[in-house]
Amino acid sequence: MQLSNGCAIISGGILFIRATLYHLFNSERLVLYLPKYSFRGGIHPMHHEHEGKLPSRNVPIRDFVSDTVCIPMGMHLGAPSKPCVQKGDHVKIGQVIGEPVGGLGLPVHSSVSGEVVAIEERISTGAAPALCVTIHNDFQDEWVEGIKGYGNVETVDPSVIIPAIKNAGICGMGGASFPTHVKLSIPEGKTCDTIILNGAECETFLTADFRLMVEYPGKVVDGLRAIMRALNVKRGVIAIEDNKPEAVEAIRKAASGREGVEVAVMRTKYPQGGEKQLIRAITGRKVPSGKLPIEVSTIVTNVATAAAIADAVIDGRPLIDRITTITGCVNKPSNLRLRIGTIIADAIGECGGFSEEPGKIVMGGGMTGFAAPNMEISVAKASGGIVVYNEKKARSVEESPCIRCARCVEACPIGLDPYRLKHYCDKGDLESAKAHNVMDCILCGCCSYNCPSRRWLTASFKITKEAIALEARRKKS
Amino acid sequence: MNWIPVILAFSVLGLIGLVFGVILTIADKKLKVETDPRIAQVRELVGGANCGACGFAGCDAFAEAVVEGKVKPNACPAAKAAAIGEVLGLSVEVGEKKVARVICQGHNGVVTQRYEYDGYKSCATAAGVAGGPKECRYACIGLGDCMKVCPFGAISMENGIAKIDENKCVACGNCVDKCPRSAIRIIPADTKVIVLCRNADTGRVARAACMKACIACQRCVKTCKYGAITVENGCARIDPEKCTRCGECAKVCPCGCIVDYSVVTPEA
Repeated sequence: MQLSNGCAIISGGILFIRATLYHLFNSERLVLYLPKYSFRGGIHPMHHEHEGKLPSRNVPIRDFVSDTVCIPMGMHLGAPSKPCVQKGDHVKIGQVIGEPVGGLGLPVHSSVSGEVVAIEERISTGAAPALCVTIHNDFQDEWVEGIKGYGNVETVDPSVIIPAIKNAGICGMGGASFPTHVKLSIPEGKTCDTIILNGAECETFLTADFRLMVEYPGKVVDGLRAIMRALNVKRGVIAIEDNKPEAVEAIRKAASGREGVEVAVMRTKYPQGGEKQLIRAITGRKVPSGKLPIEVSTIVTNVATAAAIADAVIDGRPLIDRITTITGCVNKPSNLRLRIGTIIADAIGECGGFSEEPGKIVMGGGMTGFAAPNMEISVAKASGGIVVYNEKKARSVEESPCIRCARCVEACPIGLDPYRLKHYCDKGDLESAKAHNVMDCILCGCCSYNCPSRRWLTASFKITKEAIALEARRKKS
Repeated sequence: MNWIPVILAFSVLGLIGLVFGVILTIADKKLKVETDPRIAQVRELVGGANCGACGFAGCDAFAEAVVEGKVKPNACPAAKAAAIGEVLGLSVEVGEKKVARVICQGHNGVVTQRYEYDGYKSCATAAGVAGGPKECRYACIGLGDCMKVCPFGAISMENGIAKIDENKCVACGNCVDKCPRSAIRIIPADTKVIVLCRNADTGRVARAACMKACIACQRCVKTCKYGAITVENGCARIDPEKCTRCGECAKVCPCGCIVDYSVVTPEA
């Protein structure tokens, strides 16, 4: 207890000194001599291989448009949208093809112009098949009429920003796909004083956010300013890990002269880009167990989401494409700007196909991604990467008994006891697992990565969390 | 040798022992808690696996409730209800025996594999990965979540599918709650003719997913002389009230998804 208090005082002190130096002298150079922003626990995955980012790191973003897109209706958290086009219809880019359903609903827009050839259920990475609208591209690239932006984010009326975000169908593009307009609606009685843009990109292999920050830093800063103006917040921080000096430089250049925008250089560590870890590192606040970041007056969004917000506010452009890293065993690892709904087989084909016999294709990064069941699934709004493993890398290892080395405890960024939780989860003892805070687990995978016995820690926590949520829903109804 | 300390130590300890012995004897007599000796007898006769099927906290709590008359002995599916009745001097009607059955025949080789699953060995996890490793979304996944929760060791995994030992199963229902596919049902043990498929997809889709899926061809409906079979939601259903266990439907089923347990034991 005393030890943790001491740690809190020291880290709080460092943050205070850092903030004082920053604001008094307006200089990052002085701050460099202090320890960098970070958090307790965490791991350095694939450290010797530069987090697997080298192959695609210096490849500029290029556009790729495939001849068929298959747009899922349930790309965001919340109820899937309802298709509002028929088979055989001709659609244009930006036309609404799915109408929002429920409080967490979002519209879905067509990402190409052409003919709707099918509306059917298809297998995706999730448990249930997803309803998809398949559109055959006519390569005319006709935009739908009536798309109108509001111009400069600094002069726009703040009240139009959040509706514009909703109409553009923007959800969190970092992976969780939470509808952004809901995240930006501050509940009654809460306040917000800091917006953090997550450009840490701590996930292995992915370089999409890095390329975005290097090539379009202005969009990222514009997006941040739009959020700040919509919520009337005075402080906005763009957090970038120290393995991306080019991005830090580019963003710093773009942010100079912009009101209230700071750049924070973080230590390279996984999961630095976790919401709670970022808030702890930058503001020193601790999000209480089971609560959202707004509880500590902070909102965290991804840099790609901010860029999409800038497009939505300035040009009125809906979210129809995203930057995705395709890497691993492909001939030309690349960062592609893909239309939403691009089939991954086409995207991999654009990257020169497989360089080795593929063992597994992972949607997302190496630590938190999901395995794809086949090559026919499509790129959604939150797909930041497609990583192809060879047979050797894809092979899983039998788990062996726990040797109580506590390396999982060391790695856990939340401060849980994974070895003990695993015991309860395997037994199916939901009550004890809940008492040991399994619901606070962020499923980052640090414990599984560090375990010398190769135990399936994160997987067992995931099903336990789902089982507890299911039980709570059952009790409610 | 000086014997005095030795004798002193023995006598002091002996005296303390004697005093405590007297106190404990008095306490045992005065503060005795009356327990019904029948509770221990009943406890011997119930299942003893703490499976929770009766709804009580465990076998001890159940035995107590039975002796107090709060619940009938046959609420425990594993109990020797008639013997308990003798202990309590009650006449207990023994209910019909029920068993859990896996409503699926999607063995490896029969069902189409969607992908090779190579992760955490749990049906719940596998079911969440792209709709499960088997093409049929009603099929038993076969990674043994039910086997882990069975307190009677009645479930084994054979050829990628759960197999329930009828003799060991007491129908406590733990496996039914655990199965992410709801592919296990509790049915009376004398229901011998069963449709072992729940696939509600159209015939073509079902057939592509599994060689033993019900394709709703209606041949069983036409064959049944007693009108016991209907096809609901793309899958045959036998009404146990009307069924006479003649087994004619099982003979004509082109997919082999209706099984007559009185004739064949289904292949493992």
